[in-house]
Amino acid sequence: VSDSQLSRFEVFVQGRKGAAYVHAGSVHAPDPELALLNARDVFSRRPNCHSLWVVPADRILRRTVEQLSAGAETDSPATPGKSETFLVFGKIGHRGSHVFLGETAAAGSSQALSRGQEAFGHLDVTSWWIVAEATRSISAPEEARAWFDPAKDKPFRDHAFYPVETFMRNLGRGRRQQAR
Amino acid sequence: MNDDLRAALAEYLLTFADDEMVLGHRDSEWTGHAPILEEDIAFANLALDEMGHASLWYRLHAELLGEDPESLPDRLVFHRPASGFLNAPLVELPRGDWAFSMLRQFLFDAAERAWLEGLARSRHAPLAAVARKIQTEERYHDRHTRAWVLRLGLGTQESRARMQRALDALWPYAVELFEARPGEALAASSDVAPESADVRALWLADVVQQLDKATLEPPSETSPTGYGRDRHTPHLAELVAEMQSVAQLEPEGSW
Repeated sequence: VSDSQLSRFEVFVQGRKGAAYVHAGSVHAPDPELALLNARDVFSRRPNCHSLWVVPADRILRRTVEQLSAGAETDSPATPGKSETFLVFGKIGHRGSHVFLGETAAAGSSQALSRGQEAFGHLDVTSWWIVAEATRSISAPEEARAWFDPAKDKPFRDHAFYPVETFMRNLGRGRRQQAR
Repeated sequence: MNDDLRAALAEYLLTFADDEMVLGHRDSEWTGHAPILEEDIAFANLALDEMGHASLWYRLHAELLGEDPESLPDRLVFHRPASGFLNAPLVELPRGDWAFSMLRQFLFDAAERAWLEGLARSRHAPLAAVARKIQTEERYHDRHTRAWVLRLGLGTQESRARMQRALDALWPYAVELFEARPGEALAASSDVAPESADVRALWLADVVQQLDKATLEPPSETSPTGYGRDRHTPHLAELVAEMQSVAQLEPEGSW
């Protein structure tokens, strides 16, 4: 599908130090630097963001278990002798998002998928994403304060900051009082 | 701090508060209109940040005058006539196209950054503390606007032309950000605020270098805009009328 809004990047958020990166959604951007900046604005406005990864969406090998059991290719020819690091993401069960499971060295993304299945097959993974580490961009740790701390003292960005009394709520309260 | 200095510093800080408030309002006008969704959100964020900074400056202003820091900011923003605003005309100009708004934000953020360096060293500790807090956030604004200035300047023929046109229009106003502010003489001579001329030199070196990277060139000669913090363009009155329209409907209302 052609898209007039620049390239698409998948965004992964690490909520706190040491936690797994979790897929948060995607952003459009002309390049990885702006993808990170946009990801910061779109996905870290509420607190709880320690670090961000972005990956060009079209560089991810994506396979569901259904596709794999229907015989989708997993063993396309590996590039001999040229091993690189891949990041393995999986969606556990049918709910939630793709979560970073771990890294594996492989010659090509298909081989990385097989290795990922061997290493993490005991988990109930329903969908796999394989990402070459070289295509991932990371928010700079030294800028983490400037990027993520301000959200913490901006409660006015949150709808809960504004105590709007709705008509329906007042109506409900009136009814409850009558019942008493 | 004696009373004269308190009053001078209060007025001086009001110029910063008004700059941030008016620019924040202009930025907020992009909500729902930016070229892509992500930038729409980013600009709404910038707008909220600038308003947040304005509120910090208004509070300091109120504290220096011994006024209530909770209620005075609202009175100043929602119940003061446009003629009383001390913002620089740069921030009241209509938002123009995307290039215009992005470039204005860049020129303003760079100026703010240069100012904050001086303000963070103020002898007045509460002022230095606010400056340091804003500095953290401005680092992010700066990254964002610099990245876009570069990409629009080096982008297509059209994006470059629009940026250069915006620069030609904005430059005279940007330069006038550094006209001496009310209260500045006393504040600067008492080491509670930097001298505008020093800040201007820092800013100029910085923005010219960044504009150059983006193949953009400030006009070599500019004539004074004829406007100032005490002499606004007609755009401010319109902006203030809109900004105050809801509050004016119910002046005694509580929010």
